[in-house]
Amino acid sequence: MFWIALLPTREDERTAWGWWALQFTPRVARVDEALLLEVSGSERLWGGRKPLLRRLIQSNQALAPVEWGLGATSLVALACLRQKMRGRALQVPQPPQDLPLDTLTAAADHVDTLERTGCRTWGDLRALPRGGVARRFGAALLDALDAGFGHRPERYDWLTLPQSFDLNFELPALATAAPELMWSAQRLLTQLQVWLAARNRGVLALEFEWTLDLRRLNGVKLPQHEQLVVRTAQATQDIAHLRRLVSEHLNRATLSAPANHLRLRSLETVPWGGISTSLLPEDNIQGEKLHQLVERLSARLGEGNVTVPVAREDHRPECKQQWLPARQAQAGAAPDAQSLYPTWLLPQPLRLEMQGDTPCYGGPLHRLARLYRVEAAWWEESGPALRDYFIARSPQAGLVWIYQERPGPGEVKARWFLQGLYA
Amino acid sequence: MSSRAFLRLVSPTALPHVWQVGAQGSEDETLATGHAPLDACLPGGGWPVGSLVEVLQARPEPHVWQLLLPALALVVKNAKAAPVVLVGAPLQPFGPSLAAQGLPAERLLCVQAAKPAARLWATEQALRCAEVAAVMAWLPQARSAELRRLHLAAQQQGRLLFVMRDLGAAAESSPARLRLRVESTQDAMQVHILKRRGPPLDGPVLLPAHAPRVAALLASRKGGSKPPLLEKSHVLDRTAAHA
Repeated sequence: MFWIALLPTREDERTAWGWWALQFTPRVARVDEALLLEVSGSERLWGGRKPLLRRLIQSNQALAPVEWGLGATSLVALACLRQKMRGRALQVPQPPQDLPLDTLTAAADHVDTLERTGCRTWGDLRALPRGGVARRFGAALLDALDAGFGHRPERYDWLTLPQSFDLNFELPALATAAPELMWSAQRLLTQLQVWLAARNRGVLALEFEWTLDLRRLNGVKLPQHEQLVVRTAQATQDIAHLRRLVSEHLNRATLSAPANHLRLRSLETVPWGGISTSLLPEDNIQGEKLHQLVERLSARLGEGNVTVPVAREDHRPECKQQWLPARQAQAGAAPDAQSLYPTWLLPQPLRLEMQGDTPCYGGPLHRLARLYRVEAAWWEESGPALRDYFIARSPQAGLVWIYQERPGPGEVKARWFLQGLYA
Repeated sequence: MSSRAFLRLVSPTALPHVWQVGAQGSEDETLATGHAPLDACLPGGGWPVGSLVEVLQARPEPHVWQLLLPALALVVKNAKAAPVVLVGAPLQPFGPSLAAQGLPAERLLCVQAAKPAARLWATEQALRCAEVAAVMAWLPQARSAELRRLHLAAQQQGRLLFVMRDLGAAAESSPARLRLRVESTQDAMQVHILKRRGPPLDGPVLLPAHAPRVAALLASRKGGSKPPLLEKSHVLDRTAAHA
């Protein structure tokens, strides 16, 4: 048996360190303040004890570093770790015999009594008569001592990876504005990354939930929690993109009251296929992906401001294409491509002012060519579109695309509209 | 001694970014503009790739597509599925027309932002994205330092970047290697090259102001002659053919 005891320097990252350690051995347990790993079954796979320990401790870039202790039993490893943390000499002459008693959790309550009897180390305690010790201090101490010396098997509740990520984090200080949550969110995202790597999954949607510190504000009852859902188009394990995306979302979010807890849940994950790499130079362009750009632009500017055209089958030019948010829509090809159309289209047809019978836009328009006639949309409630299209020249705006709405039965004058500009 | 030998060996014009007064400078990478008279006046024979190109006009919308579409069509054809990002376009680009001239509508990505800072940010983000073919930005209020940042981003990523500004910007300094002022006349646009790597140009470059089919239609209307038969089309050509 060979045990490793780990003590994360950040208390809240203990679970994440446990998930990380699960890739080295299935036997990981949370005991007292530390994590205990039994690695004798897998140490050959990792090339021996030293390479295993090096990989375990150094290859994890995301989490804060850990302190570690080694031993033949879990309690010895834990005792070594505690010795190290207390700044005492790491090397004891004979590991289980000479370890001080205060490194044994089961003996913690009795250390004073035992020290007064001159019993300072595990070996001293073991030398005492077993019956007397069991009567005076209880059987648990003897059991722990036996386990420490390797005479009893050690059993723990082994850590398992949860099906979905769900961690709650207490904020170091009350957050009054949403951007202040970013520091804690980043800590949670780092742990999410470890969980995703351990589960071999990529995340599509995650939810931040913060707990409000106040029940009522200005006489208005507040909900207990507020949520923020962040989605990405392609499953990812890349925390850098998620972090920037979350930061954009938090910059736009508002807290209705100060928050004291932040919780991160994974809503939607898919199996992670890994990153496909290529040796071809055209596949290895520096920079982020298009969907990442679209997501970040949409998060800051609003989804309606990042748009792609989607072609529609319609004869009215304003209905030929519809601008939809790029995050949701796939742009489609235009069915009826014509270079006689103008390149710019007005968002709404503009009603033109008239000088007598001549429409005006930056001066009276001079009609150059009649293009075609549209009769469509009889199904609309506002009536059919009966239009004659012209190319005209404006003194100021150059070539423009105008149409005349043919007068209905009761009307006398035709109405003129500007719809596009040639550029 | 050795430094003198060195000086004799290297002719100054062989150095990059050094050119003689009468000649045009060189550019690392260029893309043909699609307008032969303009290509002849640009160093390297086309739009510089990975550099800021400024287009100055009195109004933001005219001539932009006519000037830039051939190059955009080329770059879109070379890069599969990479979009052209339009930041702060003054009007909506009309897909069917652009598609007929080589820029498919599904390759457009429009970003609207009212604030100048947001426009600059969006432009820079688009430049830093690996899957963007070209960026067109309307930045009437940009300052020289901000444009420099965009220029460096374009240089780093090797992107086509066109920035549309108004005529007042002509007096300001700019990090752009190429600055054009475009003015419109009846059926042509005059392209004045304000700044390039080479000697100043005497007169403007004259380019057609409209797409070939529009120009043909207008010519047929004006002269009363039969228009040249262009590619096949259904409704629209009837008027042109009847003329």
